[in-house]
Amino acid sequence: MMPLLEFTSVGFAYGERNVVGDLNARVFSNECIAVVGRNGAGKTTLLRLAAGTLTPGCGKVQLQRRDLRSLKQREIAQSIAFVPQNVDVPFPFTVEQFVEQGRTPFLRTFGGLNATDREAIERALELTDTASLRSRVFNQLSGGERQRVKIALGLAQQPKLLLLDEPMQHLDIGRQFEMVDLIASLRREGIAILASMHDLSLIEGAFSSVWLLSPNETMRQGSPEEMLRPDLLETAFDCPPRHRPKLVERTRNQMERTL
Amino acid sequence: MVGKVVEAQASIARGSADQYGQRWLLVTLIAALVLAMLAASGMGAVHVPVWLLAKSLLRGRSFSSGPLTEDQRIILLTIRLPRIAAAVLVGGALAVSGLLFQGLFRNPLADPYIIGSSGGAVLGASIGVFLLPPVSIAGFGTTALLAFAGATASITLVYWLAHVDGRTPVVALLLAGFAVSTMLSYSSYFLEVLDRDFGTGLRVLTSWLHGTISQPTWPQLAIVSAMLAIGLAGAVPLARRLNTLALGEEYATHLGISVQKTRVAVIVIGSILTGAAVALGGLIGFAGLIIPHILRMVLGPDHVRLLPATALAGALFLLIADTVARTAIAPAEMPVGVLTAFIGGPFFLYLLRRAKHEVMT
Repeated sequence: MMPLLEFTSVGFAYGERNVVGDLNARVFSNECIAVVGRNGAGKTTLLRLAAGTLTPGCGKVQLQRRDLRSLKQREIAQSIAFVPQNVDVPFPFTVEQFVEQGRTPFLRTFGGLNATDREAIERALELTDTASLRSRVFNQLSGGERQRVKIALGLAQQPKLLLLDEPMQHLDIGRQFEMVDLIASLRREGIAILASMHDLSLIEGAFSSVWLLSPNETMRQGSPEEMLRPDLLETAFDCPPRHRPKLVERTRNQMERTL
Repeated sequence: MVGKVVEAQASIARGSADQYGQRWLLVTLIAALVLAMLAASGMGAVHVPVWLLAKSLLRGRSFSSGPLTEDQRIILLTIRLPRIAAAVLVGGALAVSGLLFQGLFRNPLADPYIIGSSGGAVLGASIGVFLLPPVSIAGFGTTALLAFAGATASITLVYWLAHVDGRTPVVALLLAGFAVSTMLSYSSYFLEVLDRDFGTGLRVLTSWLHGTISQPTWPQLAIVSAMLAIGLAGAVPLARRLNTLALGEEYATHLGISVQKTRVAVIVIGSILTGAAVALGGLIGFAGLIIPHILRMVLGPDHVRLLPATALAGALFLLIADTVARTAIAPAEMPVGVLTAFIGGPFFLYLLRRAKHEVMT
């Protein structure tokens, strides 16, 4: 099977600081991957490389065997949607107008939205359960609503791959579970997902595999059970020694819950 | 599936209901503008009854014969109509450039006057006036071109100064705009020393700095109309991009908008419009701030919908303001810039007050 997205020996540095080094990984169309790692480990950088908004310093990222560098951003955005962590909109756009922006890669210079575009927008609102919010002002939404509307914008792009940067951030526990359900339902729609995740306890059940970024090591890949092991997490997250028993306990609880 | 199609159709229907409302607003604005132009051509030191004017217009004989007296005809053709046309052009140009700059800076407080674009245009235009007599077509053309160049240079400078990490904080924008604007418009006084025919240039300059709509000739109006037409045509494809840019540079880039190209295009188009406005009217503040802001309250923030309404409402606003400015304290005349400052200043302060939490952080 052809991989949807493939990283081949990808390296990226911000100035002197190496963030991603020699990354080799593939995303297939039925996958739902959680990218895990400590702060500054390069989770967001990895997503931006996948979205084509950052160009790798070495190696290449391919979308269905085509180098992202040879594609226009517009063409990439027709297959890959990126949902950033923070959005700051200076004008009072409604939810509907916000989600409409997801059709930008499909519009011609002077063209407007046609019936296909409208349908994609409606479908995106429906999938994220945000149709009832359509006339609300985006800036006045709660954190959980905003997150869902941002994902709706991504879905309006009708992507094959959805990149989510910290989708659970600033959400209360109830909204986090809603997000888990949403991710599961998108997976059923056949959309591949690559999401950076902070809260390890939400990964199992929702994600099919985990990419574990550790400083100065090549990225590890595997199923959630394989990756969320205390010894691996300990090095990846560089836990202070006196808290190590807690980490062991936490992950053990997690394992028991899933059994 | 059926439900989905029905919903999509409902949404298209809703879209057209919105468009209906927008069309209604545009028709109203056009009607109001025509009425205001008729009324304004009747007002002034020599009274021309509106019904006589309408009658001779309807006969379509370009005033050459008909119910108007010779005096009325001359006043209309050489003084009043050019002045009205100038106010309409200047108002439309200012409002649209305000809309574009607000989108560019992602900040509803931007206005060509506040952010120094007009200041740059005045400096450019003054250089033109001191080099060539502004009454000649070539002279005015040069003046307008230099006004455009000045506006482009100053807005580029302000953008470079005030743009931090993809955002333009209000404080940075206002400080950079104030500094650049003051520096440039006062540098224009320096050009006095270059004034060869002692006074003419200075008089033009002073009226510019006050924001007086001059008494334009028809060729001058033709040049400015051409600039306005180019500016409006250029603004149409930019409007949708400004919507996407409002989501932030990261989003816009990802969605396939070239942020850099869009920025350059907005600066060029906005400066053409500012240059056009300044060449005829000088420093007229706040029109570019008030009009897009009020329309945003009515139509929402979609730049595509705002663009035509902004052009029309700007023209209407400045025509009314200029007519009041030239008739309210007759026989004396007040620069229209003074009037817009009276109206726009408090409005700006109100907006600043509302944006306080952002200003203070």
